[in-house]
Amino acid sequence: MAGAGGDMQWCLSQAKGSLDDDVTEADIISTLEFNHTGELLATGDKGGRIVIFQQEIENKRQPQYRSEYNVYSTFQSHEPEFDYLKSLEIEEKINKIRWIPQKNAAHFLLSTNDKTIKLWKISERDKRPEGYNLKEEDGRYRDPSTVTSLRVPVFRPMDLMVEASPRKVFANAHTYHINSVSVNSDNETYLSADDLRINLWHLEITDRSFNIVDIKPANMEELTEVITAAEFHPHQCNTFVYSSSKGTIRMCDMRASALCDKHSKMFEEPEDPSNRSFFSEIISSISDVKFSHSGRYMMTRDYLSVKIWDLNMESKPVETYQVHEYLRSKLCSLYENDCIFDKFECCWNGNDSMVMTGSYNNFFRMFDRDHRWDVTLEASRENSKPFQVIKPRKVCAGGKRKKDEISVDSLDFNKKILHTAWHPQDSIIVVATTNNLYIFQDKMN
Amino acid sequence: MLGRGVKRKWSCLEELEADRAAAAEEEEDEAEEKEEEEDGGLLGPARPDMSHVQQRQLVLGLCLEKLQRCQAGVELSLRRSVLLINTLRQIQEEMRSDGSDAQFDTPLDAADPDSRLLRCDIPVTCPGCAEGDKEGPSPPSVLPSLDTNSSPSPSKSLPAATHSTLSDAVNAVGYLSDLALDDIFEDIDTSMYETSDLVAGSFWPVSVSLWAEEEVKVRSAGPASAGTLQSCLMDLNELDHIMEILVKS
Repeated sequence: MAGAGGDMQWCLSQAKGSLDDDVTEADIISTLEFNHTGELLATGDKGGRIVIFQQEIENKRQPQYRSEYNVYSTFQSHEPEFDYLKSLEIEEKINKIRWIPQKNAAHFLLSTNDKTIKLWKISERDKRPEGYNLKEEDGRYRDPSTVTSLRVPVFRPMDLMVEASPRKVFANAHTYHINSVSVNSDNETYLSADDLRINLWHLEITDRSFNIVDIKPANMEELTEVITAAEFHPHQCNTFVYSSSKGTIRMCDMRASALCDKHSKMFEEPEDPSNRSFFSEIISSISDVKFSHSGRYMMTRDYLSVKIWDLNMESKPVETYQVHEYLRSKLCSLYENDCIFDKFECCWNGNDSMVMTGSYNNFFRMFDRDHRWDVTLEASRENSKPFQVIKPRKVCAGGKRKKDEISVDSLDFNKKILHTAWHPQDSIIVVATTNNLYIFQDKMN
Repeated sequence: MLGRGVKRKWSCLEELEADRAAAAEEEEDEAEEKEEEEDGGLLGPARPDMSHVQQRQLVLGLCLEKLQRCQAGVELSLRRSVLLINTLRQIQEEMRSDGSDAQFDTPLDAADPDSRLLRCDIPVTCPGCAEGDKEGPSPPSVLPSLDTNSSPSPSKSLPAATHSTLSDAVNAVGYLSDLALDDIFEDIDTSMYETSDLVAGSFWPVSVSLWAEEEVKVRSAGPASAGTLQSCLMDLNELDHIMEILVKS
């Protein structure tokens, strides 16, 4: 892995998706996830489809190699449904994809929409049996009387075929919208979280799940807080965290009791009174929570910042990075156009030294934790040519705008990067704009 | 703008709210137009520093507008609804503590328990909150007309989520009147619940508590459906209150 973030030179490796400015609703990317080796990249969209890309590495032996991600498999994961009881549509949009660590040749992933989680098996077929005695090659049955000798069918190579098949459907366990799915380190269980409840499942069992967190008040009129994200600890199979719309993160230990309503730790930073406004609560709402690979830290994303928490310190984060502080004075307008409710995700790099998150105007931000360095980059076809190092961008908050800077009022709030992913081992990042996928690689790889 | 100490008629307040909503919409439209011109800038017309009260009014109007704006056939995000309602409550609190300096205070509060009820937050179940999570037998509904109205086809403008909120509130009444305490409720007039006007009118009850000092005016409001709805919900609260007392004794 390359050294300091400041040494990194990101180049656009690939851009995938339609060149149209007109976005088809169904093509909007709604989730992005690398598998554990980084060989596969799964994307989910609003139309309920999953597209999996596979990394093909050219000249891996050379110091500077280029890897390309090509379509490996495409399938329809979820279909739109209708809830007859409530007369409401259930969207097919894929909210989350999580890979199961690989145990054999096939790949497994969990994908979820608002109500139903599915386990998909993606397997390759590159051989097929040939030489049956009673069947022709095209499948027609032979007349047994014409068979004069017997042969043993053999496997012969064929064109690679990648098949995706649904192995399990975990349904009817969530009244509210599912926002997170997280596979446990025990590789046997996983959790699913909706606005008010978290359920624990066994990967093999679809007809029941255990409810482990329930924050629904007896009287719904007393509801003031919802669950926004949840994740299992990467190594401790008894520990998970969930974040809330009030900016708190609760860590729970499943050994303590069956129903984890009492948290074992609560992470919350006291509010800065000088920053108080009508929008304070909305911008404190946590949109994503991710444990570091090491399991020592966790990262949370709220509207304006990224915070790194040491799991041993609940009172405040150990690091806070401002993503787009220049928006603080524009919160009223962002409230008006609903952008204040946007849910940005965040991610760690492979060795936890850097974190990345998206912003508006197709900008995304990277923070180097060790060297206190950060950069703003842009995902755009016009401003990047393949293999050319992309230039950092700068937003002018006020006052005199310098030459290459862009003023806050010129930012395009329709172009938002909500989903980003970092290859678990290599210096490869993927950034999703509304309906396009950008893959950047560090030239100094 | 809402002034202090000025008595207004309910219809006047409705107009004010509609104006504000229209103004906010206009601004959004303007902003959208600007966006088309400017290739994506979406921050709208530059707003010089508003006074705190001005911003509060704006946010209040937007809040109500956002809560009322529903997409037919699709469930609203609970997170969004909860955040909006919390913001609304925050503004209410502020306005109430500001308004407590004015003369509406003591005469209403002390003597009249009803007004105290009204000053409390009217149930602000957000759309989708009361979703089909009914453990145990659902309370038998004595308001079949409302129920049939509350399962609309998606083409109707009001989403089922909001209907279920209303019908839950009203079902509570139905459940209560099922008990063998009917004689106690004899004098309560439930005939207004059977009208379909409830469904058609303004469906966000929050606005009542914001203008709590006007409750006398609201109660005697004419056939305006918004007024009918609000007085229904006020009665619901009273009923709940009465039930609590009865059950405790």
